Amino acid sequence: MFGLIGHLTSLEHAQLVARDLGYPEYADQGLDFWCMAPPQIVDSITVTSATGQVIHGKYVESCFLPEMLATQRVKSATRKIINAMAHAQKHGIDITALGGFSSIIFENFNLERITRVRDIDLDIRRFTTGNTHTAYIICRQIEQASQQLGLDLAKSTVAVCGATGDIGSAVCRWLDARTDVDELLLVARNQTRLQDLQAELGRGKIMALEEALSLADIVVWVASMPKGVEIDPTTLKQTCLMIDGGYPKNLATKIQAPGVHILSGGIVEHSLDIDWKIMNIVNMDTPSRQLFACFAEAMLLEFEQWHTNFSWGRNQITVEKMEKIGQSSVRHGFRPLLLPPLT
Amino acid sequence: MPQLQASPDIDFHSDTYRDAYSRINGIVIEGEQEAHENYIRLAEMLPNHKDDLLRLSKMEARHRKGFEACARNLSVTPDLGFASQFFASLHENFQVAASENKVAACLVIQSLIIECFAIAAYNIYIPVADDFARKITEGVVKDEYSHLNFGEVWLKDNFEATKEEVEAANRQNLPIVWRMLNEVEKDAKVLNMEKEALVEDFMIQYGEALSNIGFTTRDIMKMSAYGLVAA
Repeated sequence: MFGLIGHLTSLEHAQLVARDLGYPEYADQGLDFWCMAPPQIVDSITVTSATGQVIHGKYVESCFLPEMLATQRVKSATRKIINAMAHAQKHGIDITALGGFSSIIFENFNLERITRVRDIDLDIRRFTTGNTHTAYIICRQIEQASQQLGLDLAKSTVAVCGATGDIGSAVCRWLDARTDVDELLLVARNQTRLQDLQAELGRGKIMALEEALSLADIVVWVASMPKGVEIDPTTLKQTCLMIDGGYPKNLATKIQAPGVHILSGGIVEHSLDIDWKIMNIVNMDTPSRQLFACFAEAMLLEFEQWHTNFSWGRNQITVEKMEKIGQSSVRHGFRPLLLPPLT
Repeated sequence: MPQLQASPDIDFHSDTYRDAYSRINGIVIEGEQEAHENYIRLAEMLPNHKDDLLRLSKMEARHRKGFEACARNLSVTPDLGFASQFFASLHENFQVAASENKVAACLVIQSLIIECFAIAAYNIYIPVADDFARKITEGVVKDEYSHLNFGEVWLKDNFEATKEEVEAANRQNLPIVWRMLNEVEKDAKVLNMEKEALVEDFMIQYGEALSNIGFTTRDIMKMSAYGLVAA
């Protein structure tokens, strides 16, 4: 059995969903209540592979809300993630993906130090960040959506914003090894890590965000946009593909200009309907088929019976691992979300 | 729940710490004493389970002694007057339920609510306890899981017949727990135990117990949060 640990996008959203699902005890409550609320399994999921194989899973709502980070309630935030993981393990889930902010919180607050939660010894092999599949899907989106726009990668400049992160560095490795991208622009805050990445790749230009945006035909966002940053669309290339692989996905509300094509990054479509209720509430265009690639990774690991933390630790994602999960993704009927047909 | 940040240095021998500890430790000792007596009463109500229940009762008495030693170790006199007031409402509700021979209600109070509360509090306390108390508490918490299990199993076996009684006992007693928690919030904070974490751990443990008994997720979300906001 696979599991997905998810959360809602804001307090307002959480209240709305609780009301929709018929939990008035949760619907009328403020942030203090959510800081105390325990994890719950709120959905059972059945997925059929393109091969005909059928698997089952559970959706664990962690009750984490992004406001907990915004208001410095770090202890609450970290407790939510650890408790959701313990809940998943206690319910016998073999492999669980940490969705949304969950894996970011796990990494940033070094939660791997916590090995015991109440009467449970956390078995970290049962969890995956899903980042390998997310990175693979973003790379396939770059390759395929650029074709949709008539962009030739061999003549294109790609800026990776958040290049030194787990997903960002994996995307850079793939673009270097598997494509003939002309120029690779590396954008991130930490200069030491940028230099390390540049040395590892043996290529790529380290650049500030604004300069990179004006030069790039394709911009990949795998970090959420820094607060206060406004993008002036007139400084962008006339045809520009922006892949919004950050969390939360908010580029489309920030930039609207002809010639700028924004694609939700790290999203897959399954070739068959998935039997679940939960995706109706996470704002996917086609809730029965579209999902985060990190969630799909848990499904793939279950299909393949690779019950192991396939994606774990920072900057461990190799092109070989991306290929391996990518082949599985194709085999079981997942494909990257692409741009709508151009009119 | 383990501490996520490195614990600030706690001066276990400061007056402030020992003052707060006198009430918290008093509550723990009184709680174990109540549990000891409640299981003896339950043994009378459930003669088929007499041996099991008397065994649990003895364990609770042993726990009490362990926590008395923790107080002596810090040269603290437990505030048992405060503690018995603290438990007065739950104590009375248990006595009334027992006099009406409501086994399910008694088990909800003792085996679910009090045990889950104890497990949550002990688990939160262990990472911030002094070395002596930590060892004692680690031993106790293992036992408490088996006590919780007794209540779960009996209520599961009698689920359909007692469901309404369980729900009524939940409605009557859970708000009391939240009130009790508020009464010790400040003292618990001095011991580096946070109310939010206590409530969350309690709801996790209590929710698991309700689930094992046979309640649905929907029931559990309703029951385990009952009265929390008003508290």
